[in-house]
Amino acid sequence: MQSRVFLIPMALAVAITAGCADPPTQQIQEAEKALKEAQESGASTYSPDEYAKLEGTLDTLRKEVSEQDGKFALFRDYGKAQQLSISAKSESERIKVATAQKKEEGKAAALQAQQVAEEAVKAAQQLVAKAPVGKDRAAVEAIKNDVEGLKSLLKQVQDSIDKQDYPAAQTQAKAIHDMSQGVQTEIHNALAKVGRGKPSLSRRP
Amino acid sequence: MLLDRVNRTLTSALCVVCLSGCVQAVPPDLLTALESIDQDMIALRAPETEPEEYGAFVRQWIALKSRVELDDDVIRWPWETSELENELRGLYLRGERTVSQLHDRQANRQRAAQSKVESIEDRLHLMRSHVGSIDGRIVLGERVVQTDLLVKQARIFFEQKDYQRAIQRAEEADQALMHQTALLNQELGRYADGKRIASWQAMAQQTMDWSRTHQSPAIVVSKAERELILYKNGRKVLSYPVRLGFNGIREKQFQGDGATPEGRYRVIDKRGPGQTQFYRALVLDYPNAEDRRRFDLAKKTGHIALGKGIGGLIEIHGVENEYAQQTLGCVMLDNRSMAALFESVPVGTPITIVGALTGQNAVALALSELAHHNRQEI
Repeated sequence: MQSRVFLIPMALAVAITAGCADPPTQQIQEAEKALKEAQESGASTYSPDEYAKLEGTLDTLRKEVSEQDGKFALFRDYGKAQQLSISAKSESERIKVATAQKKEEGKAAALQAQQVAEEAVKAAQQLVAKAPVGKDRAAVEAIKNDVEGLKSLLKQVQDSIDKQDYPAAQTQAKAIHDMSQGVQTEIHNALAKVGRGKPSLSRRP
Repeated sequence: MLLDRVNRTLTSALCVVCLSGCVQAVPPDLLTALESIDQDMIALRAPETEPEEYGAFVRQWIALKSRVELDDDVIRWPWETSELENELRGLYLRGERTVSQLHDRQANRQRAAQSKVESIEDRLHLMRSHVGSIDGRIVLGERVVQTDLLVKQARIFFEQKDYQRAIQRAEEADQALMHQTALLNQELGRYADGKRIASWQAMAQQTMDWSRTHQSPAIVVSKAERELILYKNGRKVLSYPVRLGFNGIREKQFQGDGATPEGRYRVIDKRGPGQTQFYRALVLDYPNAEDRRRFDLAKKTGHIALGKGIGGLIEIHGVENEYAQQTLGCVMLDNRSMAALFESVPVGTPITIVGALTGQNAVALALSELAHHNRQEI
């Protein structure tokens, strides 16, 4: 009978110990890692609203864990924290994929704009190359400067692409394309005025 | 038996009444309204332009939403107050206020960006028109297209509603225009320099005096005014508009620079029909001794590359092509004026080419106006 009385507190102790919940440390760490990875993938730039929500989920998760940690051991329940960390992880994966896709789209658009700009600058260069070299070159000397300028501006587009600043690269390329077309019109007008192909004597001022 | 049935019926009825009296802790409409606040903020680009403000809203929104989704107490009695609902309502009100503030801020930013972009476009236009009027495009070199690119980018970003970047590019363009003005002042400041103008006036005066003393024609060319003046017996008898080199506003330094030389010259040859492609031509004795001395000094001091030549064949000539606006460094007149001038001057006639004859010359005025606009911007 006495030995049975001893069994009651022991059973209680076992029940209490078994009832104490542990925080889902590994899942929380994985969720934190997933947030970091999303940030490194460029999510804060390409999917800023979704990244902010992911940060919000992590914030809620941290608060939840800290709230449960503050409770008496027997009443701790990390179920919600577990669900939040699982959701954060899966959201992070989704955001990373969406970011990569947006980035690729941005890059593809920037590269296409760069190609169009390069072709326009090349066309302007070819036109300048056709310009007269004698006395009539005066008409296109100032324009030559612009074409040289446009050529060097193409480097800025590449710099922006290298920095993965695709929106800037796109606007630069578009502006260069427009300017190259303007220069081409100017060259055409200048050539029309000087009468392309007219023989000219060599001059040396 | 009957009592038992009545008892069961009453219990069931009570349960039905109780359950139908229960309400959801959070009305679904409230959640939809908060979703819509979130979408409004995204549409206003708050995540990019106001990340802290959007972050604060989203943190609370996610925390409350997770309570809605994960908490068990989603059902309550009608007489119970829901703390969660109150917090959601509070967030909704704050969110509404934030959206309204963001709207105002966005409108202000749009106005600021619009004003900046329009202002920089106007300044670029002004710069172009002044630089074009004084043929200073070569002086600025590649800077012209670089600034043009910034202004165009500012406009594109503005149209994409990226006001922050639009303002940033407009400010960069603003700095670029200031540098251009500074460069123009550095290169062409002599046109506004009192001492230099006095020295040019003295050169022109000496040419007039020579004409009077020798009872002969003499020519003065003012580059800033783009004017050729013919003197006879010391008196101005005619003036003609002229076109200069494509870089004519600068002082000639070496062959091919497109600049028109400044100094005292003489007509050393007259070329009539069949002797020139430019209708008629008066050949100048450029380079003279003074030009050579200056050129040698510039080469010695490294201002001119060793491989460069001094150039020559500077003429006052007519036009071969009436559309040609510039020369390679010569002074060009329309053929009618050239015919008159050609008949009026013999070989040996002195020709003085100066930068400007007055302080209020076109270049000085353009520089002053550009500087004035820069000051206004500052």
